[in-house]
Amino acid sequence: MAIHKSLFASLLICLLFQISHGATKERLFSDLEKGALEVTAKPSREGVLDAGIDKLSITWKLSSTATKEAEFTTIKVKLCYAPVSQVDRPWRKTENELFKDKSCPHKIITRAYDKSPQSFEYTLERDIPTGTYFVRAYAVDAKDHEVAFGQSTNEAKSTNLFSVQAISGRHKSLDIASVCFSVFSVLALLVFFVNEKRKAKIEQSK
Amino acid sequence: MASNEEGSIGTSLHGVTAKEHVFSFSADASSQVVPSNDPTSKFALPVDSEHRAKVFNPLSFAKPHMRAFHLGWISFFTCFISTFAAAPLVPIIRDNLDLTKTDIGNAGVASVSGAIFSRLAMGAVCDLLGARYGTAFSLMLTAPMVFTMSFATGPVGYLAVRFMIGFCLATFVSCQYWTSVMFNGKIIGLVNGCAGGWGDMGGGVTQLLMPMVFHVIKLAGATPFMAWRIAFFVPGFLQVVMGILVLTFGQDLPDGNLSTLQKSGQVSKDKFSKVFWFAVKNYRTWILFVLYGFSMGIELTINNVISGYFFDRFNLKLQTAGIVAASFGMANFFARPFGGYASDVAARLFGMRGRLWILWIFQTVGALFCIWLGRANSLPIAILAMILFSIGTQAACGALFGVAPFVSRRSLGLISGLTGAGGNFGSGLTQLLFFSTSRFSTAEGLSLMGAMAVLCTLPVAFIHFPQWGSMFLRPSRDGERSKEEYYYSSEWTEDEKRQGLHEGSIKFAENSRSERSRKIALADFPTQETGSQTVV
Repeated sequence: MAIHKSLFASLLICLLFQISHGATKERLFSDLEKGALEVTAKPSREGVLDAGIDKLSITWKLSSTATKEAEFTTIKVKLCYAPVSQVDRPWRKTENELFKDKSCPHKIITRAYDKSPQSFEYTLERDIPTGTYFVRAYAVDAKDHEVAFGQSTNEAKSTNLFSVQAISGRHKSLDIASVCFSVFSVLALLVFFVNEKRKAKIEQSK
Repeated sequence: MASNEEGSIGTSLHGVTAKEHVFSFSADASSQVVPSNDPTSKFALPVDSEHRAKVFNPLSFAKPHMRAFHLGWISFFTCFISTFAAAPLVPIIRDNLDLTKTDIGNAGVASVSGAIFSRLAMGAVCDLLGARYGTAFSLMLTAPMVFTMSFATGPVGYLAVRFMIGFCLATFVSCQYWTSVMFNGKIIGLVNGCAGGWGDMGGGVTQLLMPMVFHVIKLAGATPFMAWRIAFFVPGFLQVVMGILVLTFGQDLPDGNLSTLQKSGQVSKDKFSKVFWFAVKNYRTWILFVLYGFSMGIELTINNVISGYFFDRFNLKLQTAGIVAASFGMANFFARPFGGYASDVAARLFGMRGRLWILWIFQTVGALFCIWLGRANSLPIAILAMILFSIGTQAACGALFGVAPFVSRRSLGLISGLTGAGGNFGSGLTQLLFFSTSRFSTAEGLSLMGAMAVLCTLPVAFIHFPQWGSMFLRPSRDGERSKEEYYYSSEWTEDEKRQGLHEGSIKFAENSRSERSRKIALADFPTQETGSQTVV
């Protein structure tokens, strides 16, 4: 019981730290300035892209309609899920509260804000899952709060989307090891079984 | 019969005649002399007439009793690790295999469904081949399934592999069976509670172990999508090692291995059809099936959903969610043995009726806290509710296996199997109803599951033993039906009784008189004396 009490207490302390860390994040996505940046994302080839191999050519520049430009200190470019990849997957849900939003989990690059048009050649990481994506760039102020954004697709997230096929994660060496261990397991059991049956028969005939 | 001579040493299935009792009450000096070939002296622990240990010493590894205990619970622990190894890694797996919530939910159902059948089969396997081979089969034939996880590429493969790995939960039955033949009825609640509880801890340990192994493999240079596959080799390897240990160091029965005892005529082989029929015919089996479905069943469901619940609802990191999820399973370390112990204490005071009340109380309280867990909106309250829920439910599991060994002697293995299968059935059902669709949020699902558990615990009031009573009814007043011997020998036909095949059950019946409440046991004392004197 005492062990359990101290476990519970230490759990509480750890978690209180976590909670207080994220306590004040009530900032909403709908408050951000839309279309402040013009973002394009061009895949290196047609069709479904392969994670770990294919690239995206990403460019972003200040849009003529932007008003909060003075606050921009950093630009965070992220890979976001298109609605079709969010269906029946609540862990990728779009939420208005920024700290809860899970639709843009993959970081592409973070750069200090520069007035001139920027570009970046992004090789799709090997842990990108299979899905349909677009690119979004958040403009962040000095307090690390998002103030504006721009994305490579329209507001309904239906245009300029691209698909990615994830790596399988399989490897021949794994497959071989798997088969070897399996065979060993079954064989070992059989050997024991047959051996004991034989010993019991010998016992009986004595 | 020659086999009777051998049988007089006392084995769990073919025992001595009632004559032995004369010695225990007689003051004759000659009976005080312990024969030089007294077989009970070769055991490290004190044993009863069936050579089952009367004392439980968890720090010992002496053969055969404590060794069987440790091999049994560790095997079961390993299987729990394998079955729920995927759960804490789901956030990675769902990205690699492109799974939807429905896919994950279905795989969760599949992971516990396989064991419905394997637990049933295991009861029969134990009765026929012995607990050692039951355990070893389960461990070593499902280890290949664990290794096969490295081949999965999509939702279908994932579901198929989790389904097949789930078969290994049959070790629960072989473990409980093994302890039931090795330990005396007076302490069986505690022993089964410890074995079951420490084994169930595997469901908690895996939530810590797998993310840790995954992390280490990633540090060694593998990509996440390959690292989780390599991580699965760890539980698979553990299973193979345990299987070999069980076969090398274990022993089926206190007196030896089943095949040796059977061939030398000390243990008679029973007919499977009879064993099956008497298990199925007994209505208590089915009530236990439902009850266990809503204690162990919801525990298995929680093992699959709780990590994801804390990760998604309270926005915890993967490791933190794993720690919280682990503490649910780890409570098993003391909660389930406590349930078994409480059952034993209640039996000492109130007999079997006490055991039944304890079972109902623990299970209902646990279910109420489950309802609270689903409704908790803040993290500390949710954790508190979860911990209280885990204690209640796991204690109920322990208390249930304080009752199960008394439901039948002949079909003990199969009833353990059926009850165990009920646990998995309950888990599959609750996951299917509440956690596989978008109809309920996970939080709503938890509360609904708790409510269903409260309802499905009520049938315990209907378990009635003529010799001991039930929750609300007294034992039968009828002179014949109120005897334990009547209940346990009614599992044998007249023909079989004439052949003396039921003598193991009579032995057990005499040892089970401990399930009478203290008041009744004391009042009956004169009749016991007269009973044995009549035999003389």
